[in-house]
Amino acid sequence: MTDPLLLETAERALSDTCTHEAIQGAERDGWAPGVWAALAEVGLPWLAVPEAAGGMGGTIADGLAVLRLAGAHAAPVPLAETGLLAGWLLAGAGLRVAGGPATVVPGRPEDTVSISDGVLWGTAHRVPWARSASLIVVLAQDAGAWTVAAVSTAACRVEAAANLAGEPRDTVVFERAEPAQMAPAPAGVDGDALRGRGALTRIALMAGALERLSRLTIEYTHQRVQFGRPVARFQAVQQHLVTGAQEAALVVTAAQVAARAAEQGPAGFEIAAGKLLANRAAATATRAAHQAHGAMGMTQEYPLHHLSRRLWAWRSEYGDEHHWSTRLGAAVAAAGADLLYPAIAGGSAVLEV
Amino acid sequence: MTSVRFEATELTPAELALQAEVREFLAAELPPGSFAPGLGMGAGRDPAFSRRLAERGWVGMALPGRYGGHDRTAVERFVLVEELLRWGAPVAHHWVADRQSGPVINRFGTEEQRRRFLPPICRGELSFSIGMSEPDAGSDLAAVRTQANRVEGGWLVNGTKVWTSGAHHNDWFIVLVRTSQEEDRHRGLSQVLIDLRSKGLTVSPIPFLDGTEHFNEVELRDVFVPDELVLGEVGMGWAQNTSELAYERGGPDRWLSTYLVVQHFLRERSGELDARAVALIGEAAARWWGLRQLSLSVARLVDRGEAPAAESALVKEMGTRFEQDVLAAVQQVTDLEPSPQAHSLFERLLARAVLTAPSFTIRGGTNEVLRSVAARGLNA
Repeated sequence: MTDPLLLETAERALSDTCTHEAIQGAERDGWAPGVWAALAEVGLPWLAVPEAAGGMGGTIADGLAVLRLAGAHAAPVPLAETGLLAGWLLAGAGLRVAGGPATVVPGRPEDTVSISDGVLWGTAHRVPWARSASLIVVLAQDAGAWTVAAVSTAACRVEAAANLAGEPRDTVVFERAEPAQMAPAPAGVDGDALRGRGALTRIALMAGALERLSRLTIEYTHQRVQFGRPVARFQAVQQHLVTGAQEAALVVTAAQVAARAAEQGPAGFEIAAGKLLANRAAATATRAAHQAHGAMGMTQEYPLHHLSRRLWAWRSEYGDEHHWSTRLGAAVAAAGADLLYPAIAGGSAVLEV
Repeated sequence: MTSVRFEATELTPAELALQAEVREFLAAELPPGSFAPGLGMGAGRDPAFSRRLAERGWVGMALPGRYGGHDRTAVERFVLVEELLRWGAPVAHHWVADRQSGPVINRFGTEEQRRRFLPPICRGELSFSIGMSEPDAGSDLAAVRTQANRVEGGWLVNGTKVWTSGAHHNDWFIVLVRTSQEEDRHRGLSQVLIDLRSKGLTVSPIPFLDGTEHFNEVELRDVFVPDELVLGEVGMGWAQNTSELAYERGGPDRWLSTYLVVQHFLRERSGELDARAVALIGEAAARWWGLRQLSLSVARLVDRGEAPAAESALVKEMGTRFEQDVLAAVQQVTDLEPSPQAHSLFERLLARAVLTAPSFTIRGGTNEVLRSVAARGLNA
């Protein structure tokens, strides 16, 4: 169980700073200094990173619980990247985290990053907030061995790009870039493990965004009056409210179960299933929420788009539906019919994915 | 905050031990190939199996020990029921009595009623049907017209109940009747216990669309119900009936009806799965995993003494839709003409499922009504 005090602290920092203007400003400027400063002041970006590595300590579940809140507030900062991803890679390799925002190269198929003779070469795509991060952490192969390298952003060329929500997803070019720190990745940490860990962070963020999306839609439809009554009184609109609440409940629960499993081990089943459900929910719940909001939901001035656009963007990050359904389906099919139900009930305790 | 609450939970070591025990029992009692597996709660009727289950303490397990139950929790019953249903076990004989009639009698019944009905329920002997729907009262249950008129020592009941599953086999049913005419139709309703072999009661089959016979019309003509068989308070039938419906919703029976179709698809076609079929299995496993977690969390809420009506409705609505969706998905990746007479068990299950699937989102409350129930829990 995550300490309620920790969640209260996080909630306060997020609700104080993730204002409509701050989120709009982050999309315009590519950075939200006020949000970052408030979170950094209480150490939240380094939650779930061992104190020995310069982190704040705390469990993966703690980090994911805070990410769920960050998702609900559409917090436009690299919270997942700095702690649960970069911090995890650095600490695992025996390296230390630094003070500023950090990011991680997610590892797109079109990337060409390699390490040789102690320097990095190649191009990495869709790197979150690379332009504002002080450190870019790369997991790449050096002579066939997975290696963690931390490169100062100043040592790379960064080309600005963004996702559907206007969050920076930059292209980073390494030309003989010398890492500030470098060490072999620990056993079990490879491109696949990073994708799983990344997906775990997205499940938590999406769970929070879906909860807030549902809440916003409930509130709006109870206020909006048409035909002489709040539109939430119409059965056709109630159907959208139910859809939103169902998808949020499903993904929040999945996120909690996946977080618990990740405390025990790789949690391959829960991550695959959870990201798949989150991705499906991103489509279903946003459609219902937008339909219930009408034209108001299509404007910049109303906050629905802060959530729906993030859900559409996060849906594609760290594995889309095709990736996770194929991967989970292949593992389940290989295990055979007799293990189908035990796997559904037992998850990764029964089936490795 | 939204008033629906779901909190992820996990099975305790003791609950996992029960799960292993049930699996072992089923593997020994009903080895694959030795019986015709059914589709979830639509499975077959086998009173002998119900009695053997009861001997293990697994019928009425959540009822109090002093009435023959075993004081187990809603989660423990969940663990048992999911295993029975995914195995396709013949649960029809004790199903309704175990799921709702027993709990309702325990909750609203007199001491005498509990002593009379609960022990034989827990022995897997006494079976129940549901006496709610009428020709003019389906989703709108407050429209029931079956009338109970006061006579000396009890009530005379007249009216017609429909869609009464298993009435031709079962022993009793709990009947929603009108005991007085009130301005508010939700008042003046009561629940009574009626023996399905009562004088004046006629059971006529209503053949199901696939030719099977489990649906019935039950006509009640001057059926005498003594005072001691009124369940709960006279006039409180609506509230009692609503709480009975909560037992009916949100459990594994609302998302496992087509599970065996997928399992046998996997068993028989594993050598020829194309990319679409693999993805389908991944999608289905993910959704069953997620639905199961939600449904399990509802059972935990029940054990904490809460009445998760909106949560149950949310789960049932989503679960039953998925039961149909996964069936459609399997049909999309199999090039065959489903036949109830097919040699392959997968094909027979598929045929049966296609024919009965529309009922999944109707029985126990239509999805449209469930969405209204759920929406009441979503307040600004």
